[in-house]
Amino acid sequence: MDRNRGFLLETSVVQVIARGTGVAFVIDESSPFDVVASELRDHLADQSSLWSKGDITINVGQRILARDELAQVKSIIETHSGLTVTRFWCAPESLNGGDFQIEAKAAPLYEPSFLTEPSNASESQPIVHNEVVLSESPLDLTPNTAAASKTAIESIIEGLKSRHNKNGARNRNITEALFIKSTFRSGETLEHSGDVIVLADVNPGAEIRADGDIIVFGSLKGWVHAGASGDNKCVIIALDLPSPRFQIGKYLGVAPMSAPQKSKQSTIGPKIAYVRSRSVHVAPFAGRFARYKKGVPYDG
Amino acid sequence: MTGKTIVITSGKGGVGKTTATANIGTALAMRGNRVVVVDTDIGLRNLDVIMGLENRIVYDVVNVIEGVCKLNQAMISDKHDYELFLIPAAQTRDKNAIEPEQLRELCAELEKDFDYVLIDCPAGIEQGFKNATAAAQEAIIVTTPEVSAIRDADRIIGLLESSGLHNPKLIINRIAPEMVKRGDMMDQKDVESLLAVEVIGLVPADEQTVVAANRGIPVVHNSKSSAGGAFMRIAARVDGEDIPLMAIEPKNGLLSRFKGMVGMSGRTYSHA
Repeated sequence: MDRNRGFLLETSVVQVIARGTGVAFVIDESSPFDVVASELRDHLADQSSLWSKGDITINVGQRILARDELAQVKSIIETHSGLTVTRFWCAPESLNGGDFQIEAKAAPLYEPSFLTEPSNASESQPIVHNEVVLSESPLDLTPNTAAASKTAIESIIEGLKSRHNKNGARNRNITEALFIKSTFRSGETLEHSGDVIVLADVNPGAEIRADGDIIVFGSLKGWVHAGASGDNKCVIIALDLPSPRFQIGKYLGVAPMSAPQKSKQSTIGPKIAYVRSRSVHVAPFAGRFARYKKGVPYDG
Repeated sequence: MTGKTIVITSGKGGVGKTTATANIGTALAMRGNRVVVVDTDIGLRNLDVIMGLENRIVYDVVNVIEGVCKLNQAMISDKHDYELFLIPAAQTRDKNAIEPEQLRELCAELEKDFDYVLIDCPAGIEQGFKNATAAAQEAIIVTTPEVSAIRDADRIIGLLESSGLHNPKLIINRIAPEMVKRGDMMDQKDVESLLAVEVIGLVPADEQTVVAANRGIPVVHNSKSSAGGAFMRIAARVDGEDIPLMAIEPKNGLLSRFKGMVGMSGRTYSHA
């Protein structure tokens, strides 16, 4: 998720980046926590007028973050801006692995990134994750009340763990999906460790890499890579699939060159792209796990 | 008076940003607004040429920002008797001569005094684009019905949204009606569905636009020009009037007009 787009504001450690119609604070991974804390404080203090009100999600991502630090981050955000931390999410890997550390870890520390919505875009919520809404389990994440926050965070983690165990997630350790509600435009890139669902078009020049499936409720014209971490069982589903090139796992799909107009006529309706006998095939969509036989090979 | 700053941008060069700026600016002034157009294409200034004000430049936008002259010294009044002013770009400097924040301050100053501040944005997505878009509250994107221009417009829309300029308006410039009819050129619907933004104007390809630019008289002054009429309607829409988009159709030749008359009379008789 570090291939970012946009150019709004930049400092060395904290970057403010537009994601869809929302805004994300992305924090440099290599900086020590103290530096991040002070940079974030300065950054928010500088632009306190920008972040007048709204909800914010803390995304720990794949990283390991001590709970005291999480609490500190929450208090920095809430005291230096009008934003309220309402959600918290982290990758299931860091839970299932059992290495979510309760105690502050010695360096290297991993910093969280934040997903937030500016107050003026409150009507659209482009990004939804496997998230925990904090208000359901009210907690006060201030450093002073570390004991209280401990139990609250533990309950959140337990909740996430049980959900993921229940879902099983088969071989893949992918469970979270990312929703994008706005058009994915040329030059915009996204990497995500789960499934990606776009509720609009993916335009030429846009790039999406997902470790899971990619589903586009619109016309897919850009470059997408499903199963980017090597899972050939992933699929690409789109209402319309004019994209000339895309990839599933390690297999590249290239639209057949012959008679594009004829194929356009015969294949109206949603399509699915999947890997069968070492090449990418495209067929009219009939279900995620349906048995597809008459797919068109996409091998150029 | 608190005006509005509108940036006119495209990403790709040569699609008609400067022509659109000159014409929309002129048309807005003809409608009785106080308008200033700011050329931010530093190093490659053109807006003054198209507006026919080239030989009246003394100071430019960089001079104003650097404090060499006062703001009103750099404002060139249009030749006509309505309130239209131009702040030209510097020709001997480059895009890095100004910062986005400085242009934002300049436009905030101008907004106090004008109804519309139009910014002519340079091509590209580098410093010049960042300068031009920083100051604007609204954006108008100019594109032509060509794949490359549309791709760039798409990128620009993404960049504008990420810098907080939402819901840009689209002008589709240089539509050749005959080519659209033959299916050799994308029509309005194709462009609209790809870019998914509101279309504020359709401008037909018109020789008069080129003639007007060469003479330094924006084409909106030519009441017979189809492009001029299109720019007048765009200005009216910018000004808040609700005018439906006019479909651009090939001009009827004598033969087709004759056929139409025959056809119409035939229908009339058959119904009678």
